[in-house]
Order: sequence, then structure tokens, then C-alpha cells
Amino acid sequence: MKSFLLFVITCSISLLASLSANAADAEQAKLSLERLSESLRQLNFNTSFVVVKNNQAEPYHWLHGIVDKATKESESKEAIDGEASVELEILALLNGPRRDILRINNTVSYIEPEYAPYSISSAQISGPIPPVFGRDVSVLENNYHFVSVGKNRVLGRAAQLIRIVPKDSHRFGYWLWLDQESGLLLKLAAITRAGKLLEQIQFTHLEITDVISENLKQLQTTELPKIIDIAAKQKNADLAWQVNWLPDGFAPIKSDRHRINISKQAVEFILFNDGLVDISVYVNPSKDKQRAVEFANDGATLVLNQVINSIEVSVVGKIPLETAKKIASSVSFNRKLVTP
Amino acid sequence: MSESKFETISSLVDNYRASDQRSQQAIDEMLKDEHLSETWQSYHLIGDVIRDEIPQALQLDLSTQIASAIELEPTVLAPNAMSTMSSAIKAKVIQFVKPVGQLAIAASAAGLMILGVQQNTVDNNEIITPTQVVQTKPLGGFANPVSFNYQQNSKSQQQAVLEQRIEQQRRFQALLSDHQQQIKLSAVQDTDKKSIDEEVELDKAN
Repeated sequence: MKSFLLFVITCSISLLASLSANAADAEQAKLSLERLSESLRQLNFNTSFVVVKNNQAEPYHWLHGIVDKATKESESKEAIDGEASVELEILALLNGPRRDILRINNTVSYIEPEYAPYSISSAQISGPIPPVFGRDVSVLENNYHFVSVGKNRVLGRAAQLIRIVPKDSHRFGYWLWLDQESGLLLKLAAITRAGKLLEQIQFTHLEITDVISENLKQLQTTELPKIIDIAAKQKNADLAWQVNWLPDGFAPIKSDRHRINISKQAVEFILFNDGLVDISVYVNPSKDKQRAVEFANDGATLVLNQVINSIEVSVVGKIPLETAKKIASSVSFNRKLVTP
Repeated sequence: MSESKFETISSLVDNYRASDQRSQQAIDEMLKDEHLSETWQSYHLIGDVIRDEIPQALQLDLSTQIASAIELEPTVLAPNAMSTMSSAIKAKVIQFVKPVGQLAIAASAAGLMILGVQQNTVDNNEIITPTQVVQTKPLGGFANPVSFNYQQNSKSQQQAVLEQRIEQQRRFQALLSDHQQQIKLSAVQDTDKKSIDEEVELDKAN
């Protein structure tokens, strides 16, 4: 009897311990992600990384810096415009035609071969690294678990591995290796539920400095292209269709009618987001009567396309095939689609 | 392009000169203007056809022949009065060939670019490998009669499948790049949320 009691007590203690360990892990993971977010916003860093997907590597150069108003007041009064400090950021693709993203505070400029340079009003750049990591990560808690897994050596540094595990099977997981010293990202991988690696971002260089680098100093005095007013275009359009199924946590960001730049195809469009992942849904009349589901993968990004009764439905996003199929088949029509 | 310019060219072709100054001017213009020089060429051709003087092999781009002919010609050091006109034309022809040469370079550059684009699409095919093969139904949706040239048919079928494949790749590529573009353009919402919310409130107030 005594030994049984002892057994029960030991059991319950170990159970409690493992539970609290899990909780502590999750807590630790969240703290690490919060530290990452803070570091991404507050450190002066000069870093390079490579996006590896489809047996190809895309190298990027990424710079970020903060200039205090007090030290730089005389030089760029206008740029500061009442804010305590100026945040500067450059993300440049190093291979192929120039693709640069520049940011001064809430103005982001895109320099791309397809369009004339333009700026939009935004506090985040849209690159290969999900912008949420530099913002409030707690928005992810509804749909993902944070797990602190263990320590590793990445980029010659001690790294903490954090897993962002989806709560359902409709999206991918993300593994982040974070620098123990600075809290910054050293490696990021998109992983399926089965553990298959889809794409990864490996940092190849990381430098944290007290003062901002030369490039950022130049950026500070650069006049960015004119801000285009997207807010006006972004008014949610009244579309003839709706998506009836999405994984939990995805909310519509915007909907509109536009022409796809390459194909000039006029489409009706809704963009959804769960804080980490974007899903685009396109609907347009097709000249084909029927076309079976076709899809292609670009790393973790899936492009799915089908035609049913002369209506083409496409789904694009970093989601598993089953999710995309389910979304595409859930599209229903309120009235006949007007040919634009 | 004014009608009078064509008239001047026409009269020059017919060896009829209005005035030395005017024809000189017309030639200058013609040499500068590709369209006018084409007109010059085609008027000569028309004349040749009317006179039934066209050669066996009709070569419309004469510029290279002219250039080599000029190279073979001995340099006229003291042209006589009678040939002023023709030598003026010949002298200008060298200049006239030059832009054609440049055009040729430009054309080959364009050819290269097109090749490059095609190359790119091939590359893109490698980037996006569809996991699912396109449906390869017979072209007409039914089996072909036995008498039908089978090889040719399979060839055109292959062609059709290939075209279908390329079309599919284009579609994927277009969607993918638009998706990325839309994400960029949506980033604005985070900072502009306040103003949009204000707008909504205003709308409600109204």
C-alpha cells in the first residue's frame, strides 16, 4: 500500500514536471520569438542569406538600421518628421535583374524590372522572410503552437531551434534557428506535417554594429519614389462569388478586380491571411469548358488551377495541396460571372 | 509623309530632276528616312517590272550588293558634270548602307532577345515542375481512322501537348508573380488600418 502510494506520487510528480516543462518550452519559445521581433526592429544588422528551393539558391543582402533623431537631426529633418527615430531597411536580390526593396520608416519602395519604381505606405517589407517575425508574433498563437526544441550550431553560432507547429493539418510548419547572442534569425525552414523540407532560408553572414552601414546612410538621404495610393483601390469589391471554406484563422485582407500583369487576364481576386501565410484566390471566365485540377510547386508555394463550367478558379499560397483543393472546390457563385 | 516627297522620289527614279537643290534635298531626306528609302527601292522595282527588266532571282534587299559593287568601283576623283547626279547618289548610298547595317545588328539583337526569352521560359519550366501531367486526350476527342497518317498525327499531338504544357506554365508563372505582387500591395493595410477604420466610421456616420 505504501509503495503504491509512493508510486502514485512519483507518477503525478513526473507528470506535473513534464507538463510544466512543456509549458515552459512553449513560454521559452514565445520569449525567443518576441526577442527576434525586437531584434529585427531595433538592431543595426548587415546580413546575407540564401533562399534554397527547387534545387536553386537565391542570394539576398539585407540591411537594417535605426538612426536616433538626436544624432541625425541636422542631416535629415524632413525624413524624421516628428518620430523619435528613423528605421532604415534594404533588401536586395543579388542574382539576375535588380530587385531591391528600400524602406524608410513607413515608406517602402520596390525597384523591380517589371514596373517603374514605386513606393507604398507600409511598415514592413514583403520579402522571403514572413514580416510577422518582425512584428507581434502573438497573432500566430491561435493557429500555431510554439515549441522550443533544442540547441544547434548555425552560421558558426549557438542557435536555439524554435518550431512553429500548425494546430491543424491545413498549413505548413516553420522551424527557426535563432542566434542566442543577438536573438536574430540564422535559418528558417518550411516543413510539411510529415517532416518534409519544402524550402529554407540559410543566413550566410551576420554582422551587428553600433552604427548603421554606409548603404543605409545613403538610403537616408535618398528620395524614394512617389507613394502610390493603394488604399483607394483596395476598397473591397463586391464579387459574384465567395470562398466557403478556409482553414481557421484565415481572414480576407482585400478583394478586387484587376488584370494579371503577365497574362493580362482580368480576374476577380481575394487575398486571405492567417498572420503568417497568404492565400490568393482568383476567379475568371475561361475559354475552356472544363479543365482538371492542375498544380505546381515553387518551394512551399503551391499554384493550383482548375476550370469547371467555363469558370477558372486558381489558388496560390504556401499551403498543402489538399488545403488548396478544398478551398478551390468551396468557391460558390451568387450570380453569373460577368465577362470583363 | 507628304505626298510631294513621294512625287519627288518618283521623278528622281524617272531621271527627271525638278531643280538640283530640291532633288539634293529629297535625296538627303530619303537617306535619313527609312520609309522614303524603301519607297525609292520599290519605285525602282515597279519601274523594272513595268519595263520587264526584273532579274531571274528577285532580290529585294539590294543594299549589300550595292555596297560591294561600290567597293569594286574605282574612286572617281574628278567626276564630270554629266554624272554628278549618279555619283551623289552612290556616295550617299554608303551612308545609306550604314543604317541598314545597324538595323541588321539591331535585328540580330532582337533575335537574341527573343531567344533569351524562350530560354527563360524553358528555365521557368524547370523551376516550376508540375507534379501532375497534363491530360493527353486525342486531339479531336475520338480515335483517328486507321488510314490517317499516324506519325504525323502523333507529331501534331505531341505539338499540341507541348503547347498545352507551355500554356500551363505561363498560367502558373503569371499567377505566382501576381500573388507575390498582391502581397506587396496588401502590406499597406497594417499601417493604414487606422485611416481605413476612420473611413468606415465616417461611412457609418453618414
